[in-house]
Formats: sequence, C-alpha cells, structure tokens
Amino acid sequence: MEDEIKHGNVTHVPNKGSPESPHVACSDSNHNQNNNNNKEQDRFLPIANVSRILKKVIPSNGKISKDAKETIQECVSEFISFVTGEASDKCQREKRKTINGDDIIWAITTLGFEEYVGPLKLYLTKYREMEGEKLIFPKQQRSDQRRQHSEYEQNIVFNNNNNININTNSNNNVYSSINVYPSFVPSDQPFSLPFSSNSFQKQLQ
Amino acid sequence: MRQAGTYSGILSGGISGKTGPHLLPLARIKKIMKRSGEDVKMISGESPIVFSKACELFIKELTQRSWMVTMQGKRRTLNKEDVASAVMATDLFDFLVNLVSESGNSGEAPPPLELDTFTSS
Repeated sequence: MEDEIKHGNVTHVPNKGSPESPHVACSDSNHNQNNNNNKEQDRFLPIANVSRILKKVIPSNGKISKDAKETIQECVSEFISFVTGEASDKCQREKRKTINGDDIIWAITTLGFEEYVGPLKLYLTKYREMEGEKLIFPKQQRSDQRRQHSEYEQNIVFNNNNNININTNSNNNVYSSINVYPSFVPSDQPFSLPFSSNSFQKQLQ
Repeated sequence: MRQAGTYSGILSGGISGKTGPHLLPLARIKKIMKRSGEDVKMISGESPIVFSKACELFIKELTQRSWMVTMQGKRRTLNKEDVASAVMATDLFDFLVNLVSESGNSGEAPPPLELDTFTSS
C-alpha cells in the first residue's frame, strides 16, 4: 500500500510479528527487549520471504527441504554482513559516518558481484523516481507507469552460461547481459480514451 | 485491490506483501547490517533498499546454482548438501564456505551426496 511509504529517507515497513520501529540511528533501548526474545530470528531474514524468492527460480514441481531454506537464510545474512563490512571500511577510510546506497553498490562490485550492479542501479533509480513522482503525479498515472516498469523488471533473469532459463512469465525475453537499460516498448499500451464509457452511455440515455 | 497488482513487479511484497512494498523487510536488513561490525553506526535510508534487491538477486543465484546440483543428482528436492556443493563450486561464494561446512559437516569440503545426512522431504 502506498500509504505505508512515509518518507523518502526513512522507510517504515510495518511487520506483522515484532514491534519494530526502524530508524537510521539506532537507539538500542527498544531493540534490547526484542533481541532477548527472538535473538535467533533477528539474525536472519524471515524464512517466508526467502522462500518466496527462491521458489521463483525453481520449477513448479520442485521442492526445497527445510534445512536447505535455513542454510540459504544463513547465507543471505552472511552476504549482508560481508558487504556491509566492506562498505563500512570504505566509509571509515573516507572519514564518512553514513553508509549510503552507493557504498553498498561499490562493495558489491568489489567483492565480485558486479553482475548485480546493473539491476541494482536500475532498481534504485526507479525507486528514486517513484519517490519523486509521488510529489508530482496523481495515483492513476503512476499506476499505469508502474505496470509497464514491472513487466520489464520480471524479464531480468540470470543467464550465467546455464542451459536453464527459468522464466515465469509468458513472454520469453531473456537478457543475457545484465547491464541493460530500458529501451523497451511496452506491448500493451494502456489506451486513454478522451471520453469514458460511462459518459458515452449517459449520452445515449 | 488494483494497487497490489501494480506493485507486483518491482516492489511487491512477499507473503506479507500487503505490509510493505519491498520483498524483504527493511528493518530486519538494517538490524543485520548493524550486527556486522562495531563501526557500523549510521545507515542511509537507501541502503536497506539496495540490499533488498541485492539479497533477492543473491538468493536467486544461489538457489539456481543449487538447483543445478539437485538436477545432476536426478532429484526434485533441493537439500542442504546441494547448497553446500554450489557454494564450493563457485568462487564468488567463497565467503560462505565456512558457513556451509560448519553446519553439520566435520570435513573441509563436504562431498556432493552424503548418504548419512541425506534426507528427502
């Protein structure tokens, strides 16, 4: 829901489970209580979210064991720590206090994940655009634009010399190079008629 | 509601999709970032968002590689050993080697199929 995106800087994602109040500079008094109760869970991303993502890349008749999901969960947390550590070192070297998105992207590149950089930058640009759009455009126009963007986004899959291209979409556009920039033309352009069907019927009456 | 569909490509939520626009909870990502070191104090608002996407890409890549191992074994259930094999086989995932080998295996490099710990579920 759009209403839940409050600000550009600090985004609040209300979680169902724990009473978390995310903010940039963490004051630990609230978090200590949560940490004592579900310390284990805090170390990892929720398994349901992880599960949903990984199901996108295996066939529908494939299954994943619980311990595999948990292992992947742990690996993701390790990935976050790994990248954050690198980004944090960079900030320290440059005597900056705040880790920003560009630092993360830099760290990801440095650690060898340069294939991610293209989609990440695209994602970040779109996110920034959308945050800006909210100030300018009304909801209806934005939703049309987003539909076009989303169709493009779903086509980016990894193609690391695999024979397997698992694509859950109906149109089989597979981008072999991750570094693509939008030069697409959406196939179903929404038509905006100068008159609505409602008004037409009124005329007939 | 129409809005939920329009978000679905980029910023869609997962199971708890209605609670937020991103696939992964930003607050949890922030927590994990802070745990990574003493020096991590201030994090910009964009960082968890970048990570949200990066983690999604990472999960997809790791899963795809693991699934290839599963298929090589002519199985349809991806298990932990497949993940470990994929990690071992990929230079990029070297930082995970200790993580996958310490969870249950005593040796340095677990063999792709370990019959005593193999569970099919």
